[in-house]
Amino acid sequence: MTKPLPIDRTLEAQSRPELRGLLPHAADQLNVVWAQKLIRHCAILEPTTGALRIAIVHSYTSELLNPWLSLATAVQGLDLEVYHAPYGLGLQEADAGSALVAHAPDLTLFLLEREAIHPTFGAPLAQHDQHTQQRIADEVLDRLCSILQRFRAQPIGRMLLTLLPARVGPALGAHDTQSDRSEARWWSALKGRIAGCLNDSMPAAALLDLDEALLDIGRDHFFDNRLWYSARFPFTARAAFEVASRVVEQGVLLKQPKAKVIALDADNTLWGGIIGEDGVGGIALGPDYPGNCYLDFQRRLLDLQQRGFVLALCSKNNAADVEQVLDAHPHQLIKDHHLVAKRVNWVDKAANLRELAKEINVGLNSFVFVDDSAHEIAAVRRLLPEVETVQMPTDPLQVPSVLECVARLQVLSLTDEDRTKTGLYLAERQRRTHKAHFGGRSSDLGDYLASLEMRMDVVYDGAAQVARLAQLTQKTNQFNLTTRRYDDRQMAEFIAADDWRVAHFSLADVFGDSGIVGLAMVRLLDAGTAELDVFLMSCRVIGREAERAFLETLLGRLERDGVRALLADFVPTAKNALVKDFLAQNGFSPRTDGRYERTLARHADPSGAQSARPAPPIQVTESDGAPDREPSRGH
Amino acid sequence: MSVFAQLQDAMATTLNVEPAKITEQTSADNLTEWDSLGHVNLMMAIEQTFDIYLEVEDFPKLTSVDAILAHLQQQGVS
Repeated sequence: MTKPLPIDRTLEAQSRPELRGLLPHAADQLNVVWAQKLIRHCAILEPTTGALRIAIVHSYTSELLNPWLSLATAVQGLDLEVYHAPYGLGLQEADAGSALVAHAPDLTLFLLEREAIHPTFGAPLAQHDQHTQQRIADEVLDRLCSILQRFRAQPIGRMLLTLLPARVGPALGAHDTQSDRSEARWWSALKGRIAGCLNDSMPAAALLDLDEALLDIGRDHFFDNRLWYSARFPFTARAAFEVASRVVEQGVLLKQPKAKVIALDADNTLWGGIIGEDGVGGIALGPDYPGNCYLDFQRRLLDLQQRGFVLALCSKNNAADVEQVLDAHPHQLIKDHHLVAKRVNWVDKAANLRELAKEINVGLNSFVFVDDSAHEIAAVRRLLPEVETVQMPTDPLQVPSVLECVARLQVLSLTDEDRTKTGLYLAERQRRTHKAHFGGRSSDLGDYLASLEMRMDVVYDGAAQVARLAQLTQKTNQFNLTTRRYDDRQMAEFIAADDWRVAHFSLADVFGDSGIVGLAMVRLLDAGTAELDVFLMSCRVIGREAERAFLETLLGRLERDGVRALLADFVPTAKNALVKDFLAQNGFSPRTDGRYERTLARHADPSGAQSARPAPPIQVTESDGAPDREPSRGH
Repeated sequence: MSVFAQLQDAMATTLNVEPAKITEQTSADNLTEWDSLGHVNLMMAIEQTFDIYLEVEDFPKLTSVDAILAHLQQQGVS
């Protein structure tokens, strides 16, 4: 509970991000009239960035959600194109020729009530023993998943399943938790199994848990019984907007650039007060009000780190003052090792953000900038419109949840790599610091590389890493000779094929393990020749001569397999100029047909041209991939 | 603002039509935008605009501006 904002204040918002920050504090005063007023207000703010096409399959009235979906998309800077399937969970909409498929949705939303999935929901679940309850859960799961599979066979965008929360408490009331027939426990376990089924058996499908929305609002404020019994529409205005917002958040993640970095101001953002004036002992940060609000905010930033976002500092301050808080303040949660980069100086914020983007090696459109100063926010918004801005509230009570209105800080999926992202960036930061100790001459670079004590692990035909290898072809733009994209299924086929050799490498050094960062795919042709179909490397490891070590290792292997000549191509794109000379610099000769060729017999000859440079200081091990388990795909 | 003017404003906003299209003669029968879904939204809008509570039983009766004005008067809205 924070101080409510009079709803007419929302019409003063000068931008959509500002409106996103204001609306949660006026949400309890929303109604249809206000929804329409705000939609009109949005039309005079920044232009929208595109349309979000939603299709809705529903077992209860869904059309009344329209004003709320329109408002939620308008607030996010998107236009809504919505299609409502005919009432009911009809499978005719899962046919290739259906109106739903013709709508070509980005997002297909399933608004289902439990009764539509299984008849047993019409009677108390508590009348059944655990064994029967288990059987019913199996049936519900089977039925639901087989229906969704039918829809998944069509190109209907991301599928988002919702199940209407229970409108009343469990049959056994307060005793439910004690009972071995607990409905609440049964429901919770079933939701977990449904989510698991979507995750494991259907691409781009997820369960959006409306019980979470209900918890935020409370049952009394979530359901409108008049509308339910008269129009079969369950939601109050507040709940309708909350549900619509959560749905549209998923659309934002599909349609807008992925956020990666949260760039934070320090004073009145990470703590209350100004370090330069109040001193380490004087800032508000700790167990008492208002310091506990900032402590909670920091705690939530660590939650966001778990979703794969990285934190950076962008503060106008004396660096030493801020360092003192990071190092020595007893309640400071965000420490130096949580921050992948820092700019603490008196330079303007836009310039600092540009530098941070360069240092972290991501685009400015992946930044979310958080600052308490309306002036700084306005300046960044004007100079760097691609940066999403969030202004810290002046009311400390609103501080902890300030980032909850930022849709782009949700995630659609989560890989093991995402979870360790801060660690990967930090290791890179340490490498840069370490490199700065060496001079600028080429021998200094050699000394620097040697001091990293790099270890490269090259694996051939590693079937267990299919998902990561396919992802590398999808995501790598700069260090990529041919930019050929392959999906999981194609990658698995290449790895299994006898006439293809798929090699990947991971790289470790004294600062950490970078994971799988390079891929080469070679097609074996007749008579001792082969061609290099893909050769790419993540930009995370550029500048460590890993590409050369990888290539030479691969060539050695091909030679042992009887290959005498390797053909290769450079396919120029808008982004891969970095590698235009790579083949020529590594012993490949241009041919008259525009392709490149390298004779591998020369590889064995130590006097060959490619051996003129000393071998990269990388210790390489090679192995053949075992066709074992697929690594767990966390979501 | 008169009760009618407030109603006109709320109806035009909710049903997304020009205020001029809402007159004392307007009803669900002669305004396309006033369909069954628009009607439910309108009931919510009227409640919030005039700070009253409508019974479910009132919903099907309030399908014209005339009927709504009469109901508002009966509820003591002036």
